[in-house]
Amino acid sequence: MKTLLNAVVLMGTVAVLSGSVLAQWTVPPTPNVPKTATGEPDLNGPVPRTADGKPDLSGIWVRGGGAGGGRGQGQRGANAAPAAPGQGQRGANVAPAASGQGQRGANAAPAAPGQGQRGANAAPAAPGQGQRGANAAPADGISVATFGNVGSGFPGGVPLQPWATELINKRKADNSKDNPDAHCLPMGFMQFHNHPEPNKIIQTPNTIVILYEANEGVRQIHLDGRQLPGPDAEPWWYGYSVGKWEGDTLVVETRGFRDGGWLDVQGTPLTDAAKVTEKFRRINYGNLEIEITIDDPKAYTKPWTVKVTQRIMLNADLIEFICEERDATHYVGAEGPK
Amino acid sequence: MKNRYLLVAIAAGCCLVLAAPLIAHHSFAAQYDRSKQATLTGPVTKVDWINPHARFFLDVKDAATGKVVHWEVELGAPAMLMRRGWNSKSLPIGNSVTVSGSLAKDGSNLINASTVTLSDGKRVFAGSSGDDPAQQ
Repeated sequence: MKTLLNAVVLMGTVAVLSGSVLAQWTVPPTPNVPKTATGEPDLNGPVPRTADGKPDLSGIWVRGGGAGGGRGQGQRGANAAPAAPGQGQRGANVAPAASGQGQRGANAAPAAPGQGQRGANAAPAAPGQGQRGANAAPADGISVATFGNVGSGFPGGVPLQPWATELINKRKADNSKDNPDAHCLPMGFMQFHNHPEPNKIIQTPNTIVILYEANEGVRQIHLDGRQLPGPDAEPWWYGYSVGKWEGDTLVVETRGFRDGGWLDVQGTPLTDAAKVTEKFRRINYGNLEIEITIDDPKAYTKPWTVKVTQRIMLNADLIEFICEERDATHYVGAEGPK
Repeated sequence: MKNRYLLVAIAAGCCLVLAAPLIAHHSFAAQYDRSKQATLTGPVTKVDWINPHARFFLDVKDAATGKVVHWEVELGAPAMLMRRGWNSKSLPIGNSVTVSGSLAKDGSNLINASTVTLSDGKRVFAGSSGDDPAQQ
């Protein structure tokens, strides 16, 4: 009896402790981070490589970053004053200290997380190339796509076919209420690249898997030499992707999209005729650039190219994101999927 | 006059300088009017820690009529809130909080929070789902 009692007490104790541990799940430090002379993470450090000498794209990435160390190309311009707690996603290349996975106790006022790496990446290049003020022409002439409008860097917008112009105008007039993401449906292909929630690249010799925190998105990029499927392939939300290395650039071709896609929140279209090319370049330890060319003659009068910059998040991992609010009742006049 | 259930102010055009941008998967303008800012104080009655937007509810006593009104407060995505120090237990039921944010366009008792301040004065960032100009 006493043994049973002890067992019950032990189980109860374990249960309580487990809850505590789960509530404060600490993510271990990212290994093998290059360091500066002062011991800070050197985000301008060398690109990690795999055993076969390819650039290793693996890591936790979030929008922002780019050449120049990433400062100033994030969602806000360089030197944005850390006004309030909650700077973790902006400008920080390191997950907010004691944040990330909920280590911080309830109600604790976050003390300007994201400060840790400021200064480690001096030389903020071209402020305003990120999610805010994205219209500034970058040095390479390729405009930066934003989450809300992938074509914000084009003087007259992306080269839409007339019907596509009407469509995007209607989507905007509807306040984007039919954006699939708003109904817990898969997020648009390029929305993932620009989402403020991070993604995780897992690279193996034959496959690259990208896990997107937002909406629990998943993409597979096959590097095993398989061919793209033919035109009869069943259309997929994210199409079929194959990649190959051209020097240090991973070139990914994707075909077989579903029709009616949304590239951004305002509803820039993607059709089932689209051929998408993405060029992934890890330009240094802390920064990743993805150049995206949309060749979709059904929706556009000519192909167009934009880029997205992402920066590494250290000491961080993805957080579960199960979309529950499927009826999107918080829309004015919106109706959820039937 | 301090009254923790007091509807403090509805200040149109008040420009709050706020926190880091979170994200909306839709146009913020679809539902909220940034020019209609309000501050509400009252006890938390319920917290829904759900994606894509967490939300909580509070009871607010109307200063003029004394009537208690139930308000819904929209936040950003839980994962983003966690990275800002929130979790699902950050707002204990019954605790009084003060919320500032944008009111719903349709006049319903719905607000998109920009800041949330606890009764002990600690300010907890809300993570408005509409605080990203990319959405505008």
